[in-house]
Amino acid sequence: MKGKQIQSKDKHIHQLAAIVANTRSILYKKEDLLAYDCDGFTIHKHLPKAVVFPKNTKEVAELVRYCCQNELPFLARGAGTGLSGGAIPLNGEVIISLVKMKNLISVDLENRRAVVEPGFVNLKLTNSISDKGYYYAPDPSSQSCCTIGGNVAENAGGAHCLKYGVTTNHILGLEVVVPTGEIIEIGDNGIPDAPGYDLLGLITGSEGTLGIVTKITVRILKNPEAKQTVLAYFDDVTDGSQAVSAIISAGIIPAALEMMDKTAIEGVEAAAFPVGHPKNIAAVLLIEVDGISAGIEEQINQILSVCRQFNVRDVKVAQDEQERSRWWANRKTGFGAMGAISPDYLVQDGVIPRSKLPEVLERINQISEHSGLRIANIFHAGDGNLHPLILFDAKIPGETEKALEAGSACLQACAEVGGTITGEHGVGIEKREEMRFVFNEEEIAAQTTIRSVFNPVNLLNAGKLFPSPGKCVEIKMEKKAAIL
Amino acid sequence: MIIEGGGTKKGFGGLVEHADICLSLKDYKGIVEHNPGDMTITLKAGTSYLEVQNYLAGFNQMISLDPFANEHTSIGGVIAANDSGPKRLGYGSARDAVIGMRLVYPDGSLIRAGGKVVKNVAGYDMNKLFIGSMGTLAVISEITLKLRPVANYQSLVLISFPAGNLDVIKQFVVTVLDSLMEPITLELLSPTLAAKLTGRREYTAAIQFEDVESSVHYQTTYLENLKPEGGTFTILQQEDANLFWQAFYDLYPGLNAENKTKSAALKVGLKNMEVLELLEVTERLESGQIHLLAHGGLGHGISQVYLYGESDRILSAIQEIRKLTSAKGGYAIVKHLPFSERLKINIWDESPSYFFLLKQIKAKVDPNNILNEKRYVGGI
Ligand SMILES: Cc1cc2nc3c(=O)[nH]c(=O)nc-3n(C[C@H](O)[C@H](O)[C@H](O)COP(=O)(O)OP(=O)(O)OC[C@H]3O[C@@H](n4cnc5c(N)ncnc54)[C@H](O)[C@@H]3O)c2cc1C
Ligand SMILES: Cc1cc2nc3c(=O)[nH]c(=O)nc-3n(C[C@H](O)[C@H](O)[C@H](O)COP(=O)(O)OP(=O)(O)OC[C@H]3O[C@@H](n4cnc5c(N)ncnc54)[C@H](O)[C@@H]3O)c2cc1C
Repeated sequence: MKGKQIQSKDKHIHQLAAIVANTRSILYKKEDLLAYDCDGFTIHKHLPKAVVFPKNTKEVAELVRYCCQNELPFLARGAGTGLSGGAIPLNGEVIISLVKMKNLISVDLENRRAVVEPGFVNLKLTNSISDKGYYYAPDPSSQSCCTIGGNVAENAGGAHCLKYGVTTNHILGLEVVVPTGEIIEIGDNGIPDAPGYDLLGLITGSEGTLGIVTKITVRILKNPEAKQTVLAYFDDVTDGSQAVSAIISAGIIPAALEMMDKTAIEGVEAAAFPVGHPKNIAAVLLIEVDGISAGIEEQINQILSVCRQFNVRDVKVAQDEQERSRWWANRKTGFGAMGAISPDYLVQDGVIPRSKLPEVLERINQISEHSGLRIANIFHAGDGNLHPLILFDAKIPGETEKALEAGSACLQACAEVGGTITGEHGVGIEKREEMRFVFNEEEIAAQTTIRSVFNPVNLLNAGKLFPSPGKCVEIKMEKKAAIL
Repeated sequence: MIIEGGGTKKGFGGLVEHADICLSLKDYKGIVEHNPGDMTITLKAGTSYLEVQNYLAGFNQMISLDPFANEHTSIGGVIAANDSGPKRLGYGSARDAVIGMRLVYPDGSLIRAGGKVVKNVAGYDMNKLFIGSMGTLAVISEITLKLRPVANYQSLVLISFPAGNLDVIKQFVVTVLDSLMEPITLELLSPTLAAKLTGRREYTAAIQFEDVESSVHYQTTYLENLKPEGGTFTILQQEDANLFWQAFYDLYPGLNAENKTKSAALKVGLKNMEVLELLEVTERLESGQIHLLAHGGLGHGISQVYLYGESDRILSAIQEIRKLTSAKGGYAIVKHLPFSERLKINIWDESPSYFFLLKQIKAKVDPNNILNEKRYVGGI
């Protein structure tokens, strides 16, 4: 064993350290564990038992088996940027961090795929293949630090998912250590539609509750020949929202179609990447089209004419790549930018049918007035994915609770118009109870039944994703029993 | 209980001759909800796939799938069997199009999966379990799909390779794939299949473009400049392209009454470029005793092979093809074969190493094994 001696009386710590064969690959002292008591969802905190850093699949499997045999709760962690608390060790878990498994294993341009370890950072993949004209499509705003393993767990989306799809549409194969310690390989060689139920699709987005992903085969795409980016300013949010629907109804699928409202604009303009959006504007749309150069102009003209139809105040087409990058930096750092105008903020993540945008924005406005908290809206408008950012000050007693309540009310508004409670950030701890807005007890039971196939003892990431079983199940069962 | 949609896949799976109940969804049809502005549609499972596509065309919208379908084919059957054709390259497959389902579980409970919005990560992505499950887990009662606008313009380019040199074909395909063009299909037809569709018994690439008109012309011109020596170059525009694809889908043996016996169909999965090797094998197997038609997507790796002849010839040809797929880590699923022959072969090819999980999923969801007994992988 290399490095310092383990200073712990806990035999498990010694055993876990032996598996990763390096005392520097384990953290167990309180001061070291503090950095792992939460992820991007900072409202809940809990200390893990230990954090281990395996270097390969075999070590992951051994760690999992050890935890199983000794009934130690455990969970996987990537970069810890998750926004719903998925990586928070609620039960004092052993955290299996994948950040040391960060290799790009292979790139196969001919067959358009790449194989990566789970700790490989999202943006690095595009950076590694861009010189050959290729890229990896899912682009969460956190892409410069989040891991592809974490993306698979959360089925992460991004601004360009409107045209190209979210993570699940780009995963061809996974190697997974299931919670009992077996290593399984799904989609060997990245060939689609392998015979059998689609475990690839099931595990993607399962928020680290069905297994630990140790290798990922992803689809890579050729860069589009041309891109064109437009900013459109509206004096009225409803006009802006209607323009969004009208653009897509006109048969154009933009690569990205993003929207920010007045409060959000105030934030991004006060932060690190201001681009000079007018101050008194109600909404800005950031629209990007890409594809074959010969077709771009026709699409841009169509978009401009739709915007005019909905009383756009001003439209600008990016003059060069530099300007385009500045617009995107302004948008992609939008969440963090709220720090410039508020001590704390809570990011929400509802989805609605696009046509309900005006109605739901009005509801969010009312929620804001009712709670007395400002709410900024940044969203992937093209696919109806709203990110209301609730601005609050945790130092004021009661305000955190108010913010959580307002966030929940926003999700309820989304659910009520036929939408859902999360489009890309996941349920985690944060939205467990809100699952009831969209699923009844039987439907939740159908999902936990699937979990029990993979995770029979529920040692892996327990307490996430599903609400605590409610009374109504028991009542229903009693009723059934009475009938029988 | 066996579940029947349009009944166009009777030759697919199914090893049990008797059932207590045949649950037909033929009459359970219709549009539950279509929101043109949101570009989503909810359908009852028995709805005719082609009827919906015709209806949606009136809104310039479409379901972005291209299964081998005729007027009987139901949307439920397409999704339950996870059927897809060459346009999968540009459109994606059922797992990319389905956003929600309403299911009847074997215990009779009604369970919703997914929802009505295009982006959704609330809970597990349960839709995925039922897509391609051949009705072995639940009866699909409703399906919600995201739609795609119909492109303004389409052209299909057919390029033939008379010399039949696979290296030349590969070079051509790699160049197209590495270019900035955005084909919707990049399907290679075996010489025998091309003979049926174009009258030329030569390897032929079928490359479709769908976009605004200027972009389509730009791309077909690009291809014209790339065409191989001696090869023919044909462009079929707009409706002509549709007619070609119609004839193409109609060849699928399951749809073709006169071909139903003494015929078989395979769905083969390989890495993209290995499709070339598959077509080489099918070309080699062609003889007086057995006739094979094949095509494969060089951008997605899924191929179909149709075989015609006496059953022992068909079965031995399937074994030959499986030699290739197993050496490459791919698979060959038998999509169509008469009942008596199905018992002689493993329809679903080898079960995956994680079969224990599949078996447990079936056991938990359908503990009494009520639905579509032995229709699926490994006897599920
Ligand atoms: C500023 C900011 C912007 C963001 N923007 C976006 C956005 O645009 N789109 C978007 O979708 N998300 C966004 N996110 C959320 C977050 O970045 C994503 O959810 C990301 O996928 C998490 O990756 P991670 O490596 O940080 O995972 P972690 O936070 O470490 O883990 C997330 C979950 O995945 C599980 N997990 C991690 N690795 C594995 C593995 N190898 N196997 C199994 N389970 C695993 C964990 O147990 C946990 O439940 C943003 C976050 C921030 C902070
Ligand atoms: C009275 C009668 C008795 C029959 N008895 C038998 C018998 O004993 N044994 C036998 O093998 N065949 C029997 N058949 C034939 C049977 O119809 C087909 O074998 C088959 O089960 C259904 O047709 P299909 O696969 O062509 O359907 P398709 O619509 O093409 O469906 C393809 C697959 O998807 C499934 N599926 C379709 N729609 C749904 C849905 N909405 N939800 C879930 N799954 C779906 C199907 O079960 C099938 O596995 C009988 C038919 C009739 C009319």
